[in-house]
Amino acid sequence: MKFFVTIFFIFFSFNTEAFEFKEITTKEGIKFWFVEDKSIPLVSLSFSLNGGAVNDKKNKDGTTNLMVSLLDEGTENFSSLDYKLALKDCGAKIYFSADREKIDGTFRVVSNQLQKGFWLLQEAVNFPKFDQNEMTKVKNQIEASIKIDQSDVSTIASDMFNKHFFLDKSFSRKIKGTIKSLKNISRKDIFESYKLNFNKNGLTIGIAGDIDEQNAKKYIDYVFGDLPENAKESKINFSKLNKGEKKHNIETPQATVIFGQKGLSRTDENYFAARIANYVLGGGSFQSRLYKEVREKRGLVYSISTYLLPYKNDGLILGAFQTRNETVRETIEQVKEQWDKILNKGITKKEFSEAKTYYKGSFSRNFTNTLSIANLLKIVQYYDLGNDYFKNRERIINNIKLKQVNNVASNFFKSDELFFVVVGKLKE
Amino acid sequence: MKLALLISICILIPFKILTKKNFEPHEFELNNGLKVIVLENKRAPVIAQMLWYDFGSGVEEKGKSGLAHFMEHLMFKGTRKFPENTYSNFISRIGGTENAFTSYDYTAYYQVFPKSQIKKIMEMEADRMTNLILTKKNVEIEKKVILEERFQRIESDPSSQLDESMKSILFPNHYYGRPIIGWKHEIEQLSYEDVIKFYKENYIPNNATLILSGDIDLPTAKVYAKRFFGRIKKGDKNKQIQTINPDFKSSVFVELFHPTVKQQIWKKLYRVNSYKSSIKKGIALDIGLKILASGSASLLYEKLVNEEKKFSAIGGYFQGLAKGSGFVYFYAIPANNIGLKKIDEIINVEISRILKKGIDIKRFEIEKKKYLFDSIYEMDGILNPAQIIGESIHSGLKVNELIRWNEILEDISIQDIEKELNKFHKNKNYVLGVLDS
Repeated sequence: MKFFVTIFFIFFSFNTEAFEFKEITTKEGIKFWFVEDKSIPLVSLSFSLNGGAVNDKKNKDGTTNLMVSLLDEGTENFSSLDYKLALKDCGAKIYFSADREKIDGTFRVVSNQLQKGFWLLQEAVNFPKFDQNEMTKVKNQIEASIKIDQSDVSTIASDMFNKHFFLDKSFSRKIKGTIKSLKNISRKDIFESYKLNFNKNGLTIGIAGDIDEQNAKKYIDYVFGDLPENAKESKINFSKLNKGEKKHNIETPQATVIFGQKGLSRTDENYFAARIANYVLGGGSFQSRLYKEVREKRGLVYSISTYLLPYKNDGLILGAFQTRNETVRETIEQVKEQWDKILNKGITKKEFSEAKTYYKGSFSRNFTNTLSIANLLKIVQYYDLGNDYFKNRERIINNIKLKQVNNVASNFFKSDELFFVVVGKLKE
Repeated sequence: MKLALLISICILIPFKILTKKNFEPHEFELNNGLKVIVLENKRAPVIAQMLWYDFGSGVEEKGKSGLAHFMEHLMFKGTRKFPENTYSNFISRIGGTENAFTSYDYTAYYQVFPKSQIKKIMEMEADRMTNLILTKKNVEIEKKVILEERFQRIESDPSSQLDESMKSILFPNHYYGRPIIGWKHEIEQLSYEDVIKFYKENYIPNNATLILSGDIDLPTAKVYAKRFFGRIKKGDKNKQIQTINPDFKSSVFVELFHPTVKQQIWKKLYRVNSYKSSIKKGIALDIGLKILASGSASLLYEKLVNEEKKFSAIGGYFQGLAKGSGFVYFYAIPANNIGLKKIDEIINVEISRILKKGIDIKRFEIEKKKYLFDSIYEMDGILNPAQIIGESIHSGLKVNELIRWNEILEDISIQDIEKELNKFHKNKNYVLGVLDS
């Protein structure tokens, strides 16, 4: 078989302090960031398009998700089956997903199959067929997965959380939709959703791997160059959020609890400081205060963590744990106590410096595979962190002061603003 | 296993191989029997260290299920030299990541971290092989954590409960029938003494393989492995016996009714030979099943989902990495509720029809090509290649067999595949299961 390629790992290496990428503009005016990496014969492309599920029409929740699920189900030149076999035949993988404010795509291909691979991507991006039969098929699959979700405690909890946490009900809607809303989505809605999302001016692209600059330019134009320029940015503002607690009774030996409050947007000047505070509170896996207090000292849970969920203009902080029905109260109290503690006393000097060294050291782990490099290139552009971000990141971290972190923490982690959803068998 | 997870596994394909030239592992052995494998890859200044122990839940005494996994949790409790969570704290401080996992046949610990820290990391990993300090309090608290883990993974998930029952029936005379995490009533009885005994008997260098992947060369690996692991004394390795399961004389099915279930799910679990008994036959079965049941371009999907619309999804895959038998997992989500045996019949009729007609040569060639392409993807990273090698050699395969894997693949013909599929289709060692309300 002729595809055999010998791989020489030794000829290529990254120096993360001087991570070099190129900022390129194509003939068609598309900007993208690019890293040539010949260490493995693969190319990874990561892209996003402005739009997303916030644009789903009323009573038609799940439209964007259904639309992206149909992109690899046949195009003008390929039936669904032929398309999937063609992907296998050139070792290409295409994956689309719908988010609230954007849709994301990744494309990977073996580097001696570029032409075929990009052809298939080009077909999906420009000429999806949205065939009625395929649409019915995929709707049935999504319906089955919604039914499966209905017996999954953590999905029930996250649906309940979204339903009650967001007082602006447009954020409560499920990206997947509901069994009822799926029935309302027509083929016309799918085409409209496609037009709303697939626009040249809403694109963000990162590409990494075994491809040279000329080819990267050529193929980016080939895939995206003919898209129109009608993109509008979806601005998310979680203006009104619930607080307190909401309980939902179901028959289960172990309850799931999800909690959250308002967070920060990725572009907020305090974002990194908040990230450090969250690392100490519940983000830093085995080192976080919540892990130590709730799991290590008390054995109340198997896992507990918190994370920042940033969007372009707003953000959330979310967390979750599972514990026996009887210990729900005790664990919630622990969470609130840690919230109060970090608000009142901040973090220690030691915690501060350990969180900083964590963030400095962990960055290089992004450079061990082509897809994570491409994703990184995309994300830095998407959030407008600047083309000097890779150079500045270490300095940004070094410049953060303990006082700043503690200021952010004291304005941020207010336990009376937390909202908890408890799904379990509750006596109270 | 959750169905959602199961479906994603079917799409991602559980085991992929390494192309001939994609990797060049170097192996050596210390005087105390510790094996070391080095996979040099200078792409980023990062190293993945994995320490694989050649035992999992399979070495547990009867009545003490869950002990190997319990021990894995306790390995994070610290040593005299590096007390409490010194080790984990160090890994975090340098920006690294770590975890551990226990299976039937192996237990592994791994860390991914900036290469400059290799000395300290290796020293701490070696130290916990013999110098772990445990208190009764540690053990009692961690037992609560593990019970929560069992509740999270199994007790609150009907689909996992069904899987657990099906496995226990499929492997009546083998440890694969016992859940890795342990039966709840047995976890509750595990004691401090059980843990200490298990640790002393099993955590020995001649029962382990250290895999170093990433920006590290062979001479450096040799120096440090010798310095830190070389001083640990060799122990007596427990000989593990592979008992054989009897052939089924009766057909077996399991039904799990749960009030929260809204979607009927059908499953079928077969006991089959693993790669250990024949790599070639294993690959042939794997490719055959991919043509038959993997993803939405498979033959079963095409007919039963697309054309006849009897199911909204169907799929299956082969797990052949095992010291004992492997298994094949099939699932289907019927469009309308039908009985479990009726579903089995529909699928069987279709498989018979496909096999009678013969596999299309084009399908065979595409799937074989994809198999090779996927092996390149497997090399895109540093932890994944170490993971594949570790899992394979602790499932009874040899490193040189892995290196030769794609040569064996080249040899496989469409006849080999049809032969394996026909054999599989006649296999009576299976359990049927259905999840319903």
